[in-house]
Amino acid sequence: MGSDIFEISVNFVKLIAIFLLMVQIVPLLVWVERRGSAYIQNRFGPNRVGPLGLTQLLADAVKFLTKEAFVPSRGYPFIYYIAPIVAMIPAALALAAIPLSMPIKIEPFQWLGETWGPYTFLFQGYNFGIGIVFVLGVSSLAAYALLLAGYGSNNKYSLYGALRASAQTISYELAMGLSIVGVILLFNSFDFLEIIKGQEAPLHFMFLGRKIELSAWLPNWGIFYQPLGAVLLFAAMFAEANRLPFDLPEAEGELVAGYHTEYSGFKFNMFFIGEYGHMFVASALMVTFYFGGYSLYPFLTSENASQVVQPVAQLLGFNSTNAYNVMGALLLHLVFMAKVVLFLWIFIWVRWTLPRFRYDQLMDLGWRTMLPWALFNTCLTAVVILIMRHPWGS
Amino acid sequence: MLWEAIGFYSLALFLIFFACQTLMATNPIHSALYLVLTMIGLAGVFFNLGAHFIAGVQMIVYAGAVMVLFVMVLMLFDLKAEVRAFSRGLISGGLKVTAAAFLLGITIGSIRHSQLAAVDQPAEALPIRDFTRELGVLLYTKYLFAFEALGVLLLVVAVGVVAVSRMKGGTHAKH
Repeated sequence: MGSDIFEISVNFVKLIAIFLLMVQIVPLLVWVERRGSAYIQNRFGPNRVGPLGLTQLLADAVKFLTKEAFVPSRGYPFIYYIAPIVAMIPAALALAAIPLSMPIKIEPFQWLGETWGPYTFLFQGYNFGIGIVFVLGVSSLAAYALLLAGYGSNNKYSLYGALRASAQTISYELAMGLSIVGVILLFNSFDFLEIIKGQEAPLHFMFLGRKIELSAWLPNWGIFYQPLGAVLLFAAMFAEANRLPFDLPEAEGELVAGYHTEYSGFKFNMFFIGEYGHMFVASALMVTFYFGGYSLYPFLTSENASQVVQPVAQLLGFNSTNAYNVMGALLLHLVFMAKVVLFLWIFIWVRWTLPRFRYDQLMDLGWRTMLPWALFNTCLTAVVILIMRHPWGS
Repeated sequence: MLWEAIGFYSLALFLIFFACQTLMATNPIHSALYLVLTMIGLAGVFFNLGAHFIAGVQMIVYAGAVMVLFVMVLMLFDLKAEVRAFSRGLISGGLKVTAAAFLLGITIGSIRHSQLAAVDQPAEALPIRDFTRELGVLLYTKYLFAFEALGVLLLVVAVGVVAVSRMKGGTHAKH
């Protein structure tokens, strides 16, 4: 956690801030979803409460909080209550492991009559060095929220929804895991920070052990090496987050509302936060693996960000290296969030564009199409890397 | 060191409690859910030992995939007839007690004969990255045969399950 009280408290505040970031982005996303769907379908959407309908979110929150709390009498109360909590945990844990900006280096400074020693604060909740495995591990627990909700409600529609959901999640998890292997091989690391560092360079590749630079202007992003992996990962993420076209667990036409039929008020809202949290994690992973993470190579990298913000910082009256570092990290965080928001918009766009799959089509796509392609991608990447980096070890 | 010990003992209590609950729960789904908590606790133990990669894999494979399948299958099937057939009768009861005794004997024997205490601690822990690499190298050199044999075993099990489920008309059988 840290060596002294300052470091420990900063790390603690950081954890809470990242959790709040996930929770607070949900109402905004709901607003974008409703206004976006209205835009796509040539309607108005919520536009009465406040400017552009923005305070509709507050009205919704009040509604969620004041609704009657209902528990099915034949259900299993403990499981029924624990399911919404379980729904929020995987997304929150996964998001805290993803770096949202560059690590901030703080030089020794005077405060309250003491010298506080040099620190390096990571712009993420924690870093175990096996970031990818950790994120996959915790997000694989997401299926339990749906299973527990369906079972705890003791309602046949809920149970069918839960069974569909868990079958779907397991089927697509395999393709998701395999599509990431290509990136791990390419950047030779499980650590998000090292993967992003590998993408802060001009586009280059190895040819029989010689380094060939393709362009000084194009960044070394994963998408140029792993386009197939990127498409597979993004498709699998839709299925993992139970978004359309993969929203069979809550298909209204057949299952009322699937696993959350019996949930209302704030408990339903927690499922909602979990789903949007999954979308957020999915977008963050796409950005980190394939689109350079928080870096924007020729213009902004973790090396030059502190120099880029220097004029602005001086204009605002900050003149220390620490302030430059903090503001540089904030700038890179903005870059990261801009990329993430782009992917979140694609999630919403797809939802209001494509119809739902039939269940056998869903299973076919998962097992007979995406899994073989992901395996092919992994094998091809491994063979090409083995040949191209031939004098191995450098 | 102290924190490691506190982590170990609290995780051990957690594990023992949920493992006992797994055995004692009468509802099969509750039993499976307790087993999930046991698996997550086991991942915590690996994590506490510094084997972060194995902890992550334990979460993905056992807690995330295998146990979800368990719970799903339990919810899908009506197991009353099978449970009754399995839990009645002296012979099957005797078999169960024998199997339990055999397992206990193996466990006690392996604990008594293992030389874990004699293993030297490495001078310094490897960085996580090198730990994972070391693991991969070991699996593909020293333990290659065991690794491949396990793969073949899993394949045999998968083929066997398909064969059994297709016997006598499989799911379309008329009773």
